[in-house]
Amino acid sequence: MKIKKFIFITFIAMTCTFTGCEYDNFTEPTSTLHGRIVYGGEPVGVRTNGPQLELWDEGQELSAQFPIHIAHDGTFSAVVYDGEYKLVRKANSPWLPALTDTVVVQVNGHTEIDIPVQPYFTVSNNNIQQNEGIVTVTFTLNKIVETANLDNVNLYFGKNILIDDIRHDHKSSFAGADVTIDGTNTVTAHIPEHLSGLGYIFVRIGVKASASSELYYTQVQKIDL
Amino acid sequence: MKYIYITIALITLLFTVSCKHDEWLHRDPKDIITDEQLWNDPVLLTSLLANYYDRLPQMHGVFNTGGMAEIDDAMWSGHRDQNWRNDFQYGDDYGRYWDYDLIRDINLSLENIEEYSINLEPEQKQLFIAELRFIRAFVYFELVKRMGGVPIVTEQLIYDFAGDPTYLQIPRAKEHEVYDFVYDELEAVKDALSLNKTSRTRANTVTALALQSRAMLYAASIAKYNAQMSAPISTPGGEVGIPASMANDYYTKSLNASKAILSNPDYSLYDANSDKGANFYDMLNSKSSTEVIFAKDFKVGVKPHRFTYDNIVKSFTEDNESSSTLTPSLSFVESFEYLDGSTGALRIKDGSGNYIRYEHPSDLFAEKDPRLSGTVVYPGATFKGKEVSMQAGVAVWENGGYQFRTSAVLGSQYEYKDESGATQRVLWTGFDGPLDNAQDVSNTGFYIRKFVSDAPGASARGTSAENWWPWFRMGEIYLNAAEAAFELGEADAVNYINTLRERAGFAPNSIATLTTDIIRNERRVELAFEDHRFFDLKRWRIAHLVWNGSESGVNAVVRGLYSYQIVRPGHPDHGKYIFETIRPTRFRRARLFRMANYYSSIDQNVLNNNPKLVRNPFH
Repeated sequence: MKIKKFIFITFIAMTCTFTGCEYDNFTEPTSTLHGRIVYGGEPVGVRTNGPQLELWDEGQELSAQFPIHIAHDGTFSAVVYDGEYKLVRKANSPWLPALTDTVVVQVNGHTEIDIPVQPYFTVSNNNIQQNEGIVTVTFTLNKIVETANLDNVNLYFGKNILIDDIRHDHKSSFAGADVTIDGTNTVTAHIPEHLSGLGYIFVRIGVKASASSELYYTQVQKIDL
Repeated sequence: MKYIYITIALITLLFTVSCKHDEWLHRDPKDIITDEQLWNDPVLLTSLLANYYDRLPQMHGVFNTGGMAEIDDAMWSGHRDQNWRNDFQYGDDYGRYWDYDLIRDINLSLENIEEYSINLEPEQKQLFIAELRFIRAFVYFELVKRMGGVPIVTEQLIYDFAGDPTYLQIPRAKEHEVYDFVYDELEAVKDALSLNKTSRTRANTVTALALQSRAMLYAASIAKYNAQMSAPISTPGGEVGIPASMANDYYTKSLNASKAILSNPDYSLYDANSDKGANFYDMLNSKSSTEVIFAKDFKVGVKPHRFTYDNIVKSFTEDNESSSTLTPSLSFVESFEYLDGSTGALRIKDGSGNYIRYEHPSDLFAEKDPRLSGTVVYPGATFKGKEVSMQAGVAVWENGGYQFRTSAVLGSQYEYKDESGATQRVLWTGFDGPLDNAQDVSNTGFYIRKFVSDAPGASARGTSAENWWPWFRMGEIYLNAAEAAFELGEADAVNYINTLRERAGFAPNSIATLTTDIIRNERRVELAFEDHRFFDLKRWRIAHLVWNGSESGVNAVVRGLYSYQIVRPGHPDHGKYIFETIRPTRFRRARLFRMANYYSSIDQNVLNNNPKLVRNPFH
């Protein structure tokens, strides 16, 4: 009799253990929010792990935000629950902060979104040529924000695709005074010895506006040597 | 019958007489101290103050080994579980500080002392009030230097349960208003603090002046250098950013406070030992009450600290774990000038790129600013009267060049054949390393000496160390005076620096023309590991340039310097020493200070609770 009771209690306990979890566990979010940072339809390049967006989940008792990291080519993605979110373009990015001008994002399953920004400067029509170890870059530097001041324009070389002002194998800097704003520029740089023996390198242009410590970058280009 | 009468008489007697001892029944509770008792008992009040003094905030100070390893002066060579300190980026909340618990406790004390203290001597009561207000000013200074303008709360905030908490939501003050508050509070209490004249662990008049000297210098340089940035950091409401026009006033206030301290005969630069390097070490190790203005004291058996256990040179430890945690960087060592005034870059190779050979490892550091030997243990230096065994390995001459060979076993012997073919042995890798990618041995080739006690048992956890922590000392006051005077364009600014350098071991008048860079470098070497550099670089607004995250950044990357003994039998260089720089494997990521780090982010819970708070820039 006693043993029967013991087995019965054990059985009840196990039932509770294995079925109870359904009540206190949330299912993980499954919807994905994919997006790009764009200006004029073109993605805006950034420093990897540099600028961030903020996603706010309103409607809870207290506000809570989580950061959205942006990849070097200006894309981002996050896994969230379905619902309405507010997206904030933070300061310390190569574009004008828009802290109060939030973007309302409706997430429903797989959602794609373009986030428009106002970069201080952009680079267009960039053309990169390599000849005899000298890289020649022509580009048009456009001033987008009227009040922006140009610090410098930099040319980065790297062995890997992730290159920026902090992570690079070589950097050539051109002072703001030497660069024509709203016009075509041509700059040249020697490929340093430790890179010239490689089959190819990655090249990128970065533009530093004085209003932000983060730079605007062009998309990374691979050039064969 | 008679028996009954006697009994009644006795009982009556008991009732009528015993009532006189009414108070006998009124015992004070033994487990509760009432407000009336506390606020009228100087002993209890001193004990309460001890608690508040103990809670004074620091960031990379008060023997905080970990914090000191997070900037460019040193890296972490201790246990691998904290190697993140060599592989991290200053987060948005780096340096966040929001200790309104302490502010509230002090405000509560100030209100209660007014309400309950009736038996204290008036002078003593004023002293306690002054000390509490000093501590509060100290805390507000820490708040403003990390967070910018914060809400100034000077009374208890008590909720009335009426359903509307808005009257408790205090907005942030302007950044300069907090600095003004700190100054005015100290101005108001500094005379009442004079009763503590002989104390170095409780605030006295000079301590208040020292805090003024530092705080006003911070306010002045933020006003000046923030405005010089290409994009000044500020908020529209002035919570962050001080108008440039206020700089001169703040520099003047700082200089006046410094001058008042310098003219006080009770304080002077410590200069008791003719060996200048040892003098610099003794200054902090010997509890000098002339140099140190305000200290946090420690006592073996009561309240020791474990800085020596953490950081003592490997083979000198008296414990079975730790040692060697904080290891200074090459860029820090090179920031110490040579005695002839030339820049501090070490002479490792000659003009044509050949290694310079040295008879003894310490010869490389000869003729350096003696403060180097008082701050850092380098190859060939002595500690506790014994030479350290520091040697990274041997440099074997092979095929027309030096091959560097190191051993994973500390203290092992290297075997080679001399000219006659006989086997000889030399020390391979020293008992104190350095050894790359190793734990609890220097990874940079240097050890820290400053603050590492040489007392017996100081490195054993059972005993630990009792040297004190200097919150303020005369060396800083000279530097504050020099900087403020220089910024104000006063001609005698250079004298303050020269006096300090003379104590350090330089010749009199070693600097003819003062520059900003000289002042900044002097602060780095004199005040290293004393919780200054992070805030100094912030207030000069150059932190983002010095710690630029670049692999090629001189100060962004912690480098080391390894010594090798030459093995080249038959050659005159055999047995000499050469040096090579190294990028330690354990140092993973260059220091990157972003604009967002000038002011830490405010916690989201705090923002949720008080909608009147504005966020800091970039957050």
